[in-house]
Amino acid sequence: MNNRNKIKVLYIDDEQNNLVGFKATFRFDYNILIAIDTAQAYSHLKSHPDISVILCDQRMPETTGSLFFEEMRERYPDPVRMLITGYSDIESVIDAVNKGHIYRYIKKPWTDADIRSAIEEGNKYYVTTSMLAVKNKELQAAYDELGKFTYSVTHDLRGPLLSVIGAIDLAKTMDELTEIRSLLNMMDDAVKKLDEFIRNTHEYYNLKRGKLIFEKIDFKKMMTDASAIFNIAGRMDNVKFIANVSQNEDFISDENSIKIIMNNLFSNAFKFQKKNAAEKFVSAEISINNGNAEIIVKDNGIGIDESHIEKIFAMFYRATSDEPGSGFGLYNVKDAITRLGGTIKVQSALNEGTTFNVSLPSKVNEP
Amino acid sequence: MGNIKKLNFIVIDDSKLDCFIAEKVITNTGKSGEVRSFVSAEQALETIISAKNTSFPHTIILVDIQMPVMNGFQFIEAFELLGPEVINNYSIFVISSSINENDLKRVDNYVSVKQFLNKPLNSNILGALVDQY
Repeated sequence: MNNRNKIKVLYIDDEQNNLVGFKATFRFDYNILIAIDTAQAYSHLKSHPDISVILCDQRMPETTGSLFFEEMRERYPDPVRMLITGYSDIESVIDAVNKGHIYRYIKKPWTDADIRSAIEEGNKYYVTTSMLAVKNKELQAAYDELGKFTYSVTHDLRGPLLSVIGAIDLAKTMDELTEIRSLLNMMDDAVKKLDEFIRNTHEYYNLKRGKLIFEKIDFKKMMTDASAIFNIAGRMDNVKFIANVSQNEDFISDENSIKIIMNNLFSNAFKFQKKNAAEKFVSAEISINNGNAEIIVKDNGIGIDESHIEKIFAMFYRATSDEPGSGFGLYNVKDAITRLGGTIKVQSALNEGTTFNVSLPSKVNEP
Repeated sequence: MGNIKKLNFIVIDDSKLDCFIAEKVITNTGKSGEVRSFVSAEQALETIISAKNTSFPHTIILVDIQMPVMNGFQFIEAFELLGPEVINNYSIFVISSSINENDLKRVDNYVSVKQFLNKPLNSNILGALVDQY
């Protein structure tokens, strides 16, 4: 076992011989730090935040072990504390338990086995509690996100629904068929927006909780499929879709995540076009070289204002009211790229267009 | 009083459908003057600022809360800085699908906001609103 994986133990005793003896006995199994007084102990604690077990002698000239534990625990609550004493001084033990919150009390003279079992048990406790702290942090983050999520869901799900209810109400008072038709078209958009939001939520959930499945990605096939869909969408709005793929080597990744990334980037590029521009286009350049995929998605649409560019990947952020959006798409894109170990860069100029540059590493094929 | 006094309306909502519904419901009351709608609160604010030295009928502003770029709260805050000679020409009503208590409480804090209205807007709600003027 190398030193980095060993349990880090701090031993404090005012007798140099005890320190030397302790270190000599246990240094092969544990990473031992020794301190002759509390000042030295504090300096170790400061430079070694990963100390998991502290053993301290009760009787020292400047202070007692239980007082030291009581004091140090304020600043360093994580390490497991153990008191060693040769005196069957019940008061000091009570103090150490109540004020110093010690994990174990070891009686002098100790045997190697006593110490070993105390360190092993103490470390288990330390690992469990620190894992719990990490889990708690994760839970808190998930909980915060849920709050944000619920707030937005009430808006993004209720909004389109209430619009449709309002529209139905209005349609009942209308006699003109053309008027009703134009209202129906708008209702259609509202319902589609709702559907987009639900699909994005599903993608979000898959990205967060779903398992990545690493397999060979055929970008050419993927782009042929995408072209079929986006060519139709493009023809309606007069937007040209250009796709170029150069793949001469295997590329391993999660197909589902890559589809989420590309679909969102493409549909954004189609959505944020200039209404009356002449030569509207969306282009995708994909090249795979040395185990790395570069995906460049470019458009000559409305572009993103400089003041928004930092925030476009944030959840529920929307940089324009000109087009409907869930504020979810690019958040999912970024999330998927991060999970695949890749990066995304964006360049944009208002009224000129936007270019997204995605770089993804090839993964190791699953056994 | 007693004369037929027409009210102007400004609708601010990022949903085009909601703007359309509001416009229709407003014109259906038969008591409205000019009705303009904006999908961007920034544009609405610019229009209000540029109308500063002109004279026009009292104007009701219906503003949504959750909008991209400039939301309803930001709009109200910017509006409240325009000074009494502008503010007094308008009455703000917040119209939202929000059922979030913090949003509702926050609306109460703005002196210029007359009332919080729930979506969807219909002729009953708007009729009651217009009758106040």
